[in-house]
Amino acid sequence: MPAFDVQQFRQQFTFFQQQPDWVYLDNAATMHKPQVVIEAVTRFYQQYNSNVHRGAHQLSQQATALFEQARNTVASYINAQHLHEVIFCSGATAALNQIAFGLMHTVLQPGDRILLTQLEHHANIVPWQLHCQRFGVIIDVVPLTTDHQLDMLAYQQLLQLKPKVVSFSHISNVLGHIQPVAEMVALAKAAGAITVVDGAQGIVYQQPDMQQLDCDFYVFSGHKLYGPTGIGVLYGKTTQLTRLTPIFAGGEMIDSVSFVNTTFNKLPFRLEAGTPNIAGAIGLSAAIEWLQKINNKQIVQHKLLLLKEFYNGLTAIKGIDILSSSVHNAGIVALNVDSEHPADVAELLNQQKIAVRSGQHCAMPLFSYLARPGAIRCSFAAYNTLDDVNRCLLALEQAVEILTA
Amino acid sequence: MTLEQLLADTKPALLDIQQRDLTEIALAKDWQAKYRVLMQLGKKLPAIPEKMKQPELLVKGCESRAWLMHYHDKASDKHYFVLDSEARIVKGLMAIMLCLVNGMTTAELCKFDLWHKFDQLALKPYLSQSRGNGLLAMAERIKSCC
Ligand SMILES: Cc1ncc(COP(=O)(O)O)c(C=O)c1O
Repeated sequence: MPAFDVQQFRQQFTFFQQQPDWVYLDNAATMHKPQVVIEAVTRFYQQYNSNVHRGAHQLSQQATALFEQARNTVASYINAQHLHEVIFCSGATAALNQIAFGLMHTVLQPGDRILLTQLEHHANIVPWQLHCQRFGVIIDVVPLTTDHQLDMLAYQQLLQLKPKVVSFSHISNVLGHIQPVAEMVALAKAAGAITVVDGAQGIVYQQPDMQQLDCDFYVFSGHKLYGPTGIGVLYGKTTQLTRLTPIFAGGEMIDSVSFVNTTFNKLPFRLEAGTPNIAGAIGLSAAIEWLQKINNKQIVQHKLLLLKEFYNGLTAIKGIDILSSSVHNAGIVALNVDSEHPADVAELLNQQKIAVRSGQHCAMPLFSYLARPGAIRCSFAAYNTLDDVNRCLLALEQAVEILTA
Repeated sequence: MTLEQLLADTKPALLDIQQRDLTEIALAKDWQAKYRVLMQLGKKLPAIPEKMKQPELLVKGCESRAWLMHYHDKASDKHYFVLDSEARIVKGLMAIMLCLVNGMTTAELCKFDLWHKFDQLALKPYLSQSRGNGLLAMAERIKSCC
């Protein structure tokens, strides 16, 4: 097997030729798109643009075929049992909103409990909160241990409260920690709960296998998997998707409409009201097809190498407070400079053309737990190089020097 | 600490910034030098004590929080401000903003064009750079006092 050639891999991203001066370490926010994805999207608009599932004309049939082919690509990538278990939506946020809204009343009744964790992204907190408040459903939260890992003992104890739904992230978007999802799903199922996995950060780390993981729902966004923005996937088992009340209603999702009664269309259309993001789905499918030609083991190895180099370099800089663990880490490092506000550090990195995110990363409950005002987050992707790592380290050193002068 | 004391401490600091630091920033030979001065600016302004940081004074940026206190001297129709921020660079930039507007009359404050002023000082990139850093929110809060 030839070794992973990062330069060759990187060349497929036009962005880096356009912005050669930047070190991009904000991959957990969004990733860059390889040329094949950009071309697939452009080609659709240039050659095939038409609405799907509508007109009788051949162009529409062609567009529909491409769109459904994209569903097929996603379904086989995540090993869904049925095509209709892949629902296209605008992203992880939309998917989680659909699940939270959709389970109320049909599954969740007043007085029921659901279980979340301390390190969830707001997208996996606020939709639940919004609907749980209205329906009188109680939210419990799994705490963290002192090394910022999920407290599995507390998790098992909280499962004894018999939550009807358990929802947690595959990988923390702040800390990068990989959660023991298989074990968590199994425990939750044994306790009789519906399981929701927020795969927004997980999807790019590892190709998930729905039938093996056996969760009820898994959600992700295309733009964090080398795909376009505005497209995402809500995967659900047929039985569970059927229980969801659609959050959006309108065209395409109905079977018959009268002002007396409306009956809904079958899956997946029941949960895809309105014109979908056709080009987005095609772009995501192109990203997945492209990704499948690359050996993921090599990518994981490469990212581990970057992480190791980064951690090594960090220990040599005075006064760095690292929040992320270096083990079970998918390539995200949250850190602070001692007694400095992360906004200052980020600005000094920005001046040196190092793109990182700072703040609370849409995870305020996690930061109140960590008792820090926020953090700098450096997130690595397969197209990052050792040179990127070293430039970031040098820039951090420079920032520390200016801040502590 | 009272608002009067804070106002009294802020005034000479702003004068000092206006007379010395602004030229130093303009003459800075590289970005590092510029930022070193910016961070010193923040330190010159007195900090608002935690107890006084009431929720209604909060000016929220995406990444850091800042606080603004306002005093309108009715007799002279002049506006005076005190501000603080969690982040030092932002506080430095806000300090510059403050030396431009502190002591203005209502009419002057209403007319004041921060974009134009920051442009003259070659600081405009900091304003447009990010909705997150809270500078614009602070500028709006100051303007809303007139
Ligand atoms: C763990 C996690 N969940 C959900 C989301 C929301 O994703 P999107 O904004 O693409 O809907 C993100 C994005 O940052 C995330 O990291």
